[in-house]
Amino acid sequence: MLSTIAAIWQKYGYVYIQGAWGTVYIAVLTVLFGTILGTALSFVRLSRFRALQSVIRLYVWVLRGTPSLLQIYFFYFFVPKYLPFDMSERACIILALVVNASAYVEEIIRAGIQAVDRGQNEAARSLGLTARHTMTRVILPQAVKNILPALGNEFIVMIKEASLASIFFIVEITSAFKTVQSATFITIPALMISGGLYLGLTTVLSAGMKLAEKRLRNND
Amino acid sequence: MIDRTKKLIVVTDLRKRFGELEVLRGISQTVCEGEVVSIIGPSGSGKSTFLRCLNLLERPDSGSIVFDGEEITGGRVKIDAFRQKIGMVFQHFNVFPHLTVLENVTLAPVLEKGMKKDDARALAEDLLKRVGLFDKRDEYPTRLSGGQKQRLAIVRALAMEPRVILFDEPTSALDPEMVKEVLDVISELARSGMTILIVTHEMGFARRVSDRVLFIDEGQILEEGTPEELFDDPKTPRCRDFLNKVLY
Repeated sequence: MLSTIAAIWQKYGYVYIQGAWGTVYIAVLTVLFGTILGTALSFVRLSRFRALQSVIRLYVWVLRGTPSLLQIYFFYFFVPKYLPFDMSERACIILALVVNASAYVEEIIRAGIQAVDRGQNEAARSLGLTARHTMTRVILPQAVKNILPALGNEFIVMIKEASLASIFFIVEITSAFKTVQSATFITIPALMISGGLYLGLTTVLSAGMKLAEKRLRNND
Repeated sequence: MIDRTKKLIVVTDLRKRFGELEVLRGISQTVCEGEVVSIIGPSGSGKSTFLRCLNLLERPDSGSIVFDGEEITGGRVKIDAFRQKIGMVFQHFNVFPHLTVLENVTLAPVLEKGMKKDDARALAEDLLKRVGLFDKRDEYPTRLSGGQKQRLAIVRALAMEPRVILFDEPTSALDPEMVKEVLDVISELARSGMTILIVTHEMGFARRVSDRVLFIDEGQILEEGTPEELFDDPKTPRCRDFLNKVLY
């Protein structure tokens, strides 16, 4: 088995490397924009705008209640057909992943903020802190500690979800397996290389998140 | 110490309901500058809600609160600016766990009063010395005992140089051996001329430091007077009954 893996890696290593870059590319964009969009959504959800709150609740309900794959199909067919601008297939899929991720991130951040003791808000406001200062200087720094572990899990999910792009033959790690498998008809060893690459990526990410959590924990 | 000519807080017919429950049923009260007022009464009688209405942590449904000549209910006042003048100390301390002792104290003066960092630090260090927390200035609150946390909370409120401090059962969450150190700080504040409203179950303390005691039951002030009048010779049966139960 090991010799087969080595042989495949020698001949098709570049396919996997390309695939790994593809996955990293998709995952980085999904994590980045999913987090930005999700954070923005959670702030709106916690604001006073009732109508917008309902819209976001609906958004989260739909995106968490339907499979990611279905959502990717939707964006894959919807965007080119109904939107006036051209997007590459990969961009459509990334967009779908970003939208999907934002729904989960919204829930994580909102829950993290709401988990901060209400007394903190009352203490800050009764000192005369503005709503904005209360949020940025008192609530958020404490909420980050609740948010970070859950967000780390979500980032790992995002890396793995990028594999759905293989259905559309977008370059990433699972597509790399398909390419190699169809060229060599060797399945299990080819699969194991892909698995190893995912494990490598998620392990590095977990370690990074652990480090960030540890640094935040220093003061309690 | 009390300046009867300076009415700091004038409350007229304050009402508040939470759903079905009418918590405050028309409270009127005037607090003068330098006065120390204790508020006693059974649990759920509306004592805390009354206190929390005074800095609008709870919005009263009707009635008016005039603070230092300015009506703060209903109209569009700058609530944050006005809250700076009213300190509040909570039962559960609510110190900021992510900030050091010193940062807890300097946060609000620097952010909201535009105080220079060095000035705020000097002020905070002075105040921390007064309550015996100077040595802890660089610690995080998790390293403090309950009594120390509450003293920190008091200093944090004082750093804004408020006109009045509201104490909401400041010793109810403390271990018994820490009650005194907090009451000592409050007594010293009272002696220094600070206007104080305190909701408390410490009857001995209320008797010693207050100029006036209010007995609240079912959302109304049933009885008020000097500590001697109220504790030695309660007029209403309800107040007498309450004192019989709590005084041992």
